[in-house]
Amino acid sequence: MSDATIAEPSDVEEIPAGYDDGQDHAGLPHHTSTGLSNTKLAMWLFLGSECLLFGGLISTYMLYRNRQADQIGPDQLWDIPFTSATSFVLLMSSLTMVMAVSAAKRKDEQRTKLWLTVTALLGGLFVAGQVYEFTTFYREGLGYTTSLFSSSFYTLTGFHGVHVAVGIIMLLSLVAMLAKGKLVGDNAETVEMIGLYWHFVDIVWILIFTLVYLIPA
Amino acid sequence: MNRRVRIAAAVGLAALVAGCAEDAPQDMFQPAGPNAQSIYDLSVPVFIIAGVIGVIVMVFIAIIVVKFRDRGQAIPDQVHGKPTLEIILTIIPALILIGVAIPTVGTIMALNDTSDTECVINVTGQQWWWEIDYPTQSGCGSGIDQPIITSGQMVIPIGTPVLVRGTSRDVIHSWWIPRLNGKRDMVPGRVHTNRIEADEPGIYAGQCTEFCGLSHANMRMEVIAMTPEDFEAWKLNQTKPYESPAEGTLAAKGEQTFISQCARCHQVNGLEDADGAPIVSRPDLSVYSGAAPNLTHLMTRNTFAGAAYNLLTPECRPKVWNAPSETVGAEYLKGVTPDCLNSVELREWLRNAPAKKPMYADPTKLEATDGLTRGMPNLALSEDQIDELVAYLLERH
Amino acid sequence: MAIIERPTDTPALAGAGAAVTPSSSYGNFRRPVQATGWKSWAFTVDHKKIGIMYGVVAMVFFFVGGIEALLIRAQLAQPNGTILSADKYNQMFTMHATTMVFLFVMPMAAAFANYMMPLQIGARDVAFPRLNALSLWLFVFGGIFINSSWILGGAADGGWFMYAPNSSVPFSPTNGVDFWTLGLLITGVASQVGAINLIVTALNMRAPGMKLMRMPIFTWMALVVQFLLLFSIPVITVALFLLMFQRNFGANFFSVEAGADPLLWQHLFWLFGHPEVYILVLPSFGIISEVLPTFSRKPLFGYPFVVFSGAAIGFVGFGVWAHHMFAAGLGPISVAVFSVATMAIAVPTGVKIINWTLTMWGGKLWFTTAMLFAIGLIVQFTIGGLSGVTHAVAPSDTQQTDTYYIVAHFHYVIFGGAVLGLFAGIYYWWPKVFGKMLSEKIGRWNFWLMIIGMNMTFGPMHILGLQGQPRRMYIWTGDRAGDGFFDLAFWNLVASIGSLVLGIGAFLFLVNVWVSRKNPPAPADPWDARSLEWLTTNPPKEHNFDRIPTVHTLDEFFHRKYEDVGEGDQHDYKQVATGAEVIELEEKYADAHIHLPSPSYWPMVLAISLPIIGYGVIFNTLLIVAGAAIAVLALFGWALEPPTADESEFDPPAPDGDQPSKELAVSV
Ligand code: HEA
Ligand code: HEA
Ligand code: HEC
Ligand code: CUA
Ligand SMILES: [Cu+2]
Repeated sequence: MSDATIAEPSDVEEIPAGYDDGQDHAGLPHHTSTGLSNTKLAMWLFLGSECLLFGGLISTYMLYRNRQADQIGPDQLWDIPFTSATSFVLLMSSLTMVMAVSAAKRKDEQRTKLWLTVTALLGGLFVAGQVYEFTTFYREGLGYTTSLFSSSFYTLTGFHGVHVAVGIIMLLSLVAMLAKGKLVGDNAETVEMIGLYWHFVDIVWILIFTLVYLIPA
Repeated sequence: MNRRVRIAAAVGLAALVAGCAEDAPQDMFQPAGPNAQSIYDLSVPVFIIAGVIGVIVMVFIAIIVVKFRDRGQAIPDQVHGKPTLEIILTIIPALILIGVAIPTVGTIMALNDTSDTECVINVTGQQWWWEIDYPTQSGCGSGIDQPIITSGQMVIPIGTPVLVRGTSRDVIHSWWIPRLNGKRDMVPGRVHTNRIEADEPGIYAGQCTEFCGLSHANMRMEVIAMTPEDFEAWKLNQTKPYESPAEGTLAAKGEQTFISQCARCHQVNGLEDADGAPIVSRPDLSVYSGAAPNLTHLMTRNTFAGAAYNLLTPECRPKVWNAPSETVGAEYLKGVTPDCLNSVELREWLRNAPAKKPMYADPTKLEATDGLTRGMPNLALSEDQIDELVAYLLERH
Repeated sequence: MAIIERPTDTPALAGAGAAVTPSSSYGNFRRPVQATGWKSWAFTVDHKKIGIMYGVVAMVFFFVGGIEALLIRAQLAQPNGTILSADKYNQMFTMHATTMVFLFVMPMAAAFANYMMPLQIGARDVAFPRLNALSLWLFVFGGIFINSSWILGGAADGGWFMYAPNSSVPFSPTNGVDFWTLGLLITGVASQVGAINLIVTALNMRAPGMKLMRMPIFTWMALVVQFLLLFSIPVITVALFLLMFQRNFGANFFSVEAGADPLLWQHLFWLFGHPEVYILVLPSFGIISEVLPTFSRKPLFGYPFVVFSGAAIGFVGFGVWAHHMFAAGLGPISVAVFSVATMAIAVPTGVKIINWTLTMWGGKLWFTTAMLFAIGLIVQFTIGGLSGVTHAVAPSDTQQTDTYYIVAHFHYVIFGGAVLGLFAGIYYWWPKVFGKMLSEKIGRWNFWLMIIGMNMTFGPMHILGLQGQPRRMYIWTGDRAGDGFFDLAFWNLVASIGSLVLGIGAFLFLVNVWVSRKNPPAPADPWDARSLEWLTTNPPKEHNFDRIPTVHTLDEFFHRKYEDVGEGDQHDYKQVATGAEVIELEEKYADAHIHLPSPSYWPMVLAISLPIIGYGVIFNTLLIVAGAAIAVLALFGWALEPPTADESEFDPPAPDGDQPSKELAVSV
């Protein structure tokens, strides 16, 4: 290997401008080897693994969707118009999230807060719809332990609901922290990050909605 | 393969064989039927290939270790690799593996084809024994017109491909008679099949090989292969009508004890109550998994409780188990004679079954199963009752 | 410590002035910025301290799992053993495997990845130092949580793959399985978080010039492993959640009465479980790919082949899980497909074996203990790998599965692969981490006893298995042992004696650590090593590198020491500088400003909340509430805390003007 070198100072390549150790320094944008910020990359990876989590849950549901013996099954339960409506609400929240992100990029803090709040509210509406749906199902006789179908249905949609709820908490905390100026790091990026998560949860719902509600058992 | 390699392989195999026990009853290198044989024929070359590759790698490393020791030589050339060499050395293993894969797939398909079977036997795993039943059918020799239910020991005619259909009543068990075929898990809620066939009469030992709880180690089974004539005799005996013990004997007392203590779980076909109504056991009311062995012909088998214990004394056992294949069928058909009864173990069992074989039949642990036992509980029998029961059971031929 | 100013002589924090009044004072709950004492460990976010703690705790679990193994072997030494009851035995092998796999090998590999990866790529820390601390403490508390079942009513007893429905309440009525599921969920979070962290680190935090194809091979393998974790942990998470809901909340995913299919569990478990075995072994493959070149004084042969084969193993590893289910009744087509796919995985693994041997070929071999362990790995792993290929032949596997032949296979690949590799790493990097050499003499005994012990223990298991001894049996009987001198009784006894030899061998490692504790400081570059982690002092300073190195080539450190003075195709390497000199040069040009993240309470607080929730699920709902409250508190505390502490949170410099200690205080 002839490209061997001894690191005499004269010989050392100039460290690229803006390069640092890549730590989370308050507020500073920093150089990374891929150009993607650490947090964004981390969020992508996290969402990648979430795909498998939901993949596992969805497979379980698909395996058990018809196993309710003589207990109540999907046909007797689904209220497609209602669920379509709540799904639409969730879909809209993705749109408002996009608005929030672009507001944050413009450094328009007022709008950012507004859109984040709207997104959270829409998410809240979705969760409320789901709670309503669950209680109805429960009253119609579909308990968590009633059948394989019910266990796997509630587990799948419950996991998703928890994801939405966590998203709402993050959105509201974000609004509060923006208001108090307590946010650590780059605002726009944090908003974008939570946006990624929110979109993901949304997409998963579209998948669940299609597989669980729309495709007949 | 060149000759030297072949010799080396033979020597290696010989060394391995020398390391083996003689007559280990579950040895997978002593196939006794076509199914096991086809597996054997597939495995042996694979073992040899693996062995040869292993030896090559080790010899190569030994050479390197000796040859390139630090003897003060200069810093070696900083070679980073030779792509052609590497590609060749990647392709060779791939080719070898293709060579292995083709017969593998062939054997998988061949073993799975059960269209040629001539006899159907059901096995049902339950913690921790196998129930074996012969449904009515035209196969199995001259046909079976009355279902036969037994446990622990499966009797089959030689030269007949048998379809074992299995399931389980509780957890997953695995059916395995190494000398006849590979394993098949028996899964609750599913029916799995396994094809077996024995060439020679003999007793072929097996063991449950899927971990199934406390007494997994004590869950065994045997296949007894006999000539078609012997098999007919065995069938006939299994369906012969019930005979009550002679009036006034110990066994007759035993019958009463059996009715009061055991019949709620154990079926003895033909047993009648005082009114002459048949007594039908309801093990599902007492045993979590829902069944207990049928004891109608207990003494025609020579092991009990998941084939874990001997019904034959240590003196008598070898007479059957080590019998040459010409006579093993006849020896087996003698059943357990009074002088050969291993009453020690049978009595221990009746005295306190969970103490002999670990089972969750312990009353303190029954909360999770609504008070139903798993396995046979301790019935707190008196010694007299045990005497009577042993006498009664001894007549269950 | 937040900010290190170098190479000035003025106290680092003098700038803050003597009159420091913490701006956001929480009294005693100020940020734990101490540089010494237990707090400097407990609340650290330094990847090196975290790595060391990972390693120490993993080692403790190795001995726990080892003692469990010795009890297993003691029970099986004789027919009808009476040392353990059936119940205890079942708990013993379940916990042996769980401990060894999840609490020893995985965390030990995490220890190396944590410690070495940033050093090898020329970074000052991992991407998310506080998340790193979270991973550590989740692993520690999760491990303690699982093991606390021993004193809280009995451990899990379903075997390490916990097949349904045997794991349901009626069949396993104690809380053992609950501890197992919840504990593995907790350690799963640890791995998941760690995986994300390390992937980002490797992808994003490389020093200038450190291209992907210049990354040291250990970092590469660790990176592949993190991807495997990232995608396989969620699958077992699903399985564990289903099982937990089944046992604790009455769901019926595995209740056959309700129509469930028990094979669902098997698919979920092995879809995780097979990638898992490569998670266990690939870090060790990485380690010896560092050790072999160093002690052969040659670069790794076919570096790109080794990298890509590692990635290929990882990739194919996701497509072969059903080879654990050849007897489960899958149907011939699936069996055939998985059988062939499994064979395919032998090809990339073979590439590695071949490249390692060719690395040594033509080298100048220096048989240090680390090198012995590395060569040991090649030989022992090959044996295990080849028996793996005999399982891949599905019809043969229906004979072999669930016998000791399988036990032999996986101990050869795990012990002979993963564990020997980890020991190679320990011996190789000990001077790097602790600044002291281990005794080579004891190391040799350590190695040879372990090798002899493992072959004595696991070698006979091939014979036992092929002769039909099933695994997971708390007793075996003389009845089925066969006759003759070499009967199964003989081989069982040999295996048990072997496990004692192995135990003594492993124990010698502790002896070595103890004996070597007073050794003089290790030289700067004791092995004449090749990769970047050696381009700093032993042990490394808190900030790793005085100056972020610029990388020009694979094996950067080597090429800073040696120059090719040959002409044309003729290579001739001359040493132009010693390692120590190269390092000194770095010191001379040290960066002026180095920012390091500050310690934090929150990772530990967050980590402790999960076991509390776990106990809550098992014993009392109130604890769930308490745990959740702690978790919420920790999350908010975390989110509101800047990564780097305010300077005002540091103590003012000592009155006599002593400079606060900036060096990492390593003590064992
Ligand atoms: C470190 C962990 C590890 C590793 C690396 C491996 C590697 C392999 N394993 Fe193993 N395996 C386990 C851990 C591991 N395994 C465990 C823990 C179990 C049991 C789980 C349980 O039931 O509890 C198991 C079980 C197991 C089974 C299921 C057995 C059964 O239960 O019935 C199978 C079946 O195919 C298998 C196959 C393989 C194969 C083909 C490889 C291959 O990757 C091996 C490849 C390596 C080589 C082949 C050697 C080197 C190559 C050459 C020198 C090139 C030339 C070679 C040829 C041409 C053949 N393993
Ligand atoms: C990382 C994985 C790993 C490791 C390192 C080991 C290490 C060992 N294993 Fe492990 N084992 C498994 C993973 C592992 N095992 C798995 C996955 C199973 C399957 C479980 C199941 O079926 O569910 C299993 C099952 C298993 C069985 C089969 C049990 C059965 O099926 O019934 C046996 C039996 O011998 C065994 C033995 C050993 C031994 C002797 C060691 C030795 O290598 C241990 C060496 C270590 C020590 C001995 C401790 C160190 C020293 C001291 C404590 C000092 C004091 C001692 C002395 C001075 C002597 N193991
Ligand atoms: C509550 C149910 C129950 C009762 C009552 C009971 N048993 Fe059992 N018995 C079982 C079960 C279950 C088994 C299978 C246990 C095993 O092999 O693990 C068994 C096994 C046996 C076996 C071995 C059978 C074989 O084929 O391997 C014998 C013999 C036996 N019992 C005799 C008796 C006698 C005699 C009595 C009455 C005194 C009795 N049992 C009462 C449940 C019961
Ligand atoms: Cu039944 Cu093991
Ligand atoms: Cu595998």
